Amino acid sequence: MAVSQPRVEKDSEDCSLLPLVHDVIKCMDKDKDGQDVHQELMKLKTKIQKAREQISNMPGIDSSPQEQQQQLATLREQVRTKNQLLQKYKSLCMFDVPKAS
Amino acid sequence: MAGRRRRIKSTKERLLSVLDDLEVLSRELIEMLALSRSQKLPQPGEDTQILELLVQRDKEFQELMEVAQQQGKVHQEMQLLEKEVEKRDSDIQQLQKQLKEAEHILATAVYQAKEKLKSIEKARKGSISSEEIIKYAHRISASNAVCAPLNWVPGDPRRPYPTDLEMRSGMLGHMANLPSNGMNGHLPGDALAAGRLPDVLTPHYPWQPSDVSVGMLPPHHGNDFGLEPPGHNKENEDDVEAMSTDSSSSSSDSD
Repeated sequence: MAVSQPRVEKDSEDCSLLPLVHDVIKCMDKDKDGQDVHQELMKLKTKIQKAREQISNMPGIDSSPQEQQQQLATLREQVRTKNQLLQKYKSLCMFDVPKAS
Repeated sequence: MAGRRRRIKSTKERLLSVLDDLEVLSRELIEMLALSRSQKLPQPGEDTQILELLVQRDKEFQELMEVAQQQGKVHQEMQLLEKEVEKRDSDIQQLQKQLKEAEHILATAVYQAKEKLKSIEKARKGSISSEEIIKYAHRISASNAVCAPLNWVPGDPRRPYPTDLEMRSGMLGHMANLPSNGMNGHLPGDALAAGRLPDVLTPHYPWQPSDVSVGMLPPHHGNDFGLEPPGHNKENEDDVEAMSTDSSSSSSDSD
């Protein structure tokens, strides 16, 4: 959808480390003593660390996309089968009532 | 091993690997640039290579993050499906429990019905006519062993069991052939022999024929009716009296 696309692009741009690397290099050109460079380096380091933590906490990425799709298909099949079973037994009439003679 | 299949890496492993690469490449690039500036030596283009690799890894990282986000949404759907599976499992268990209960109830009912049918069949095979049962009931009740006679009062010598005199009047007593004078006084037969027992208290024995009833028996002729079988004499009566007094039977003394 058009509304969600810019948000997705913004998220992916947030993940990129290139802007921070570029900032470090620019600071190296401008600042000779290295205090600003040091500050930019700390920012880069912090962002990498946060990215690591974010990755560790993200749910559902313990398997590859293909494996996850297989698991999803299995779960859907399970739900379908169990629904069928329940429907079958609830509607099953086990007793043939004999006609009164 | 040649035959071993390569394990597919999870998205998490790939992301962490790419992030490590990015860290290493960015550090190398920065160190290289710092070194080249300080030494003021031209670099052969190694920094360009590193930069290209860095850009490539960064792009890969972003793509993987998109894949991770999609997987997160799929994971949410899977969690909903798992909850539904759990609910279905609980429904199935509940249904199983109810079916087992119904089976138990039905099995009990069928078993009891079969037992009743067996009893019916058994009763049908050994059926007895109601007239015969009533006849037996009359015979059992006639000896007053089930219930005291309506006119029974304390002091009545009649008992629901054979008394001493009745036993001695039977075959066993005659086999002993004991003499008896019949004048002991405290036995109903003795009283009858002595002519002292009233009509109402005349003992009626079940083995007597039905025509030997109260009105027909002469109450003062104890030696004439069937109480004394043939062969009975006064000698036997003495022995009977002796035995009666010596006996510890509680038949006549339980008034």
